[in-house]
Amino acid sequence: MEPNLNDIFSSDEKDILQEIMNIAFGNATADLAQVIDIYVVLSVPNIKVIDIGDLPHYIKQNIPSSENTSILQQKFWGEFRGSGILVFPQTSGKDIAGILDDQFSDDGFTLHRQKTEILLEIGNILIGACVGKVSELLGTFVTYSPPHLIVDDSEGHNNLINSFEENQTAIVMKTIFEFENKNINGFLMILTDNESIDWLRHALQNFMESYE
Amino acid sequence: MIFEQIFNMVNVGIVILDRDLNVRQWNRWMETHSKISGNEIIGKSIFHFFPSLDAPWFKRNCKSVLAFGNFSFLSQKLHKYCFPLKPVNTFGIKFDHMQQNCTMGPLRDQTNVVEYIFLMVHDVTEVAAYEQKLIEMNIKDALTGVYNRRYFESRIEEEFERHKRYKRSFSIIMQDIDYFKKINDTYGHQAGDFILKSFSTSVMSRIRAVDIFARYGGEEFCCMLPETELVSALSVAEDIRKRIEHTTFEFKNTPLNITISQGVSEMKPDTSCAESLLKKADDALYEAKRSGRNRVLNK
Repeated sequence: MEPNLNDIFSSDEKDILQEIMNIAFGNATADLAQVIDIYVVLSVPNIKVIDIGDLPHYIKQNIPSSENTSILQQKFWGEFRGSGILVFPQTSGKDIAGILDDQFSDDGFTLHRQKTEILLEIGNILIGACVGKVSELLGTFVTYSPPHLIVDDSEGHNNLINSFEENQTAIVMKTIFEFENKNINGFLMILTDNESIDWLRHALQNFMESYE
Repeated sequence: MIFEQIFNMVNVGIVILDRDLNVRQWNRWMETHSKISGNEIIGKSIFHFFPSLDAPWFKRNCKSVLAFGNFSFLSQKLHKYCFPLKPVNTFGIKFDHMQQNCTMGPLRDQTNVVEYIFLMVHDVTEVAAYEQKLIEMNIKDALTGVYNRRYFESRIEEEFERHKRYKRSFSIIMQDIDYFKKINDTYGHQAGDFILKSFSTSVMSRIRAVDIFARYGGEEFCCMLPETELVSALSVAEDIRKRIEHTTFEFKNTPLNITISQGVSEMKPDTSCAESLLKKADDALYEAKRSGRNRVLNK
């Protein structure tokens, strides 16, 4: 059961949020090209409100549990708070290393160890770009915890699911990203915490008023 | 005033850079470990003093702080260190530089615009040393210091996969010390341990750096020779056999002489798995034992 978005947000508010996301992700794309020298295509974000205990199900549905899928999570704090979750399906260490133009070791053992670290660095930049741009438009800024990789097995999935409170209402903003010419894609979700929803509604109003 | 004291008292390196990556603040920790004073470096480009930072990874992270207000976490696992500083203590492991975890983040002006980048440098040499030791304990035999059986088996699997793709030959030698039990029974276990160590040292000094030499169990050892055909592997084994036969190991003024038996096998296109290659070498070793010891045979 998916609660109606209107229960939490008016349709106006929802439109504003969608608009903010569109602008934010557009800005993020432009700046990402500067930062990592690769054009990252971000799809128009899909916004959903997910309620009480439906989150685990949503996560399960949206995150395929399969070999080689890497999931990473990064929490952010401030008036706007929540988690960024990044899912990289089926990518090899070599592909990942290819996103950054650094010189990485060629031998399998070292590369495997480094893959995790490279993923974390890329994830940190991607999540930070999207969350940062949204925050900017909402007139706030956030701080971040270091990102961590979720071990991709059933235990890892459960840990991810359990890291959210049971009766949490979350606004999920989901986007598909693709590194141009690298054949690497995945998706990014920003989940807002229950506590920041009131603040978010307020911030959306302020955003609107600045245009009136 | 108090903040300035904290800035200089904490056991963390703190650097503040402006948008052009010129140094604006340089705390006492940085002065102490880099031997560069604040007076020298403040106002100058960080790259002038640390050219190794003039690299994509560093600039990319600076840009993400400036563009998005990101925090960046530069881990020791990936980067080893940001600033090439002298290690204070290397904890028994050879580190050329202090191992560091660094965090970067934004400092904003009154209108929330990112004006500066702060960098915090944590010395994690001790943790890195422990990790290094754990890795070694996991792959090495405690007594002899050569690789253990588990590591050997994982490497032979890797070599087997490589062979399937690139068809490069490789060989293995199984080795067993003859009448080892007698040494233990006659001279004691300390003498036995001494022989195991001396034998390992002797083999290590004969083989190449790319060869994987491991203690397979008890007095049995194994050597994997990448890119090596049977003929060459046999000649290496024969050379080791002669060396050992002609060496007198001296344990507490008691001269000890040993011989070894060896079985050699080469990876062939029809070898079905890594295990069967080991089995062939083991069979050859058994033959060598049965036919009188102190010899090299192949299968």
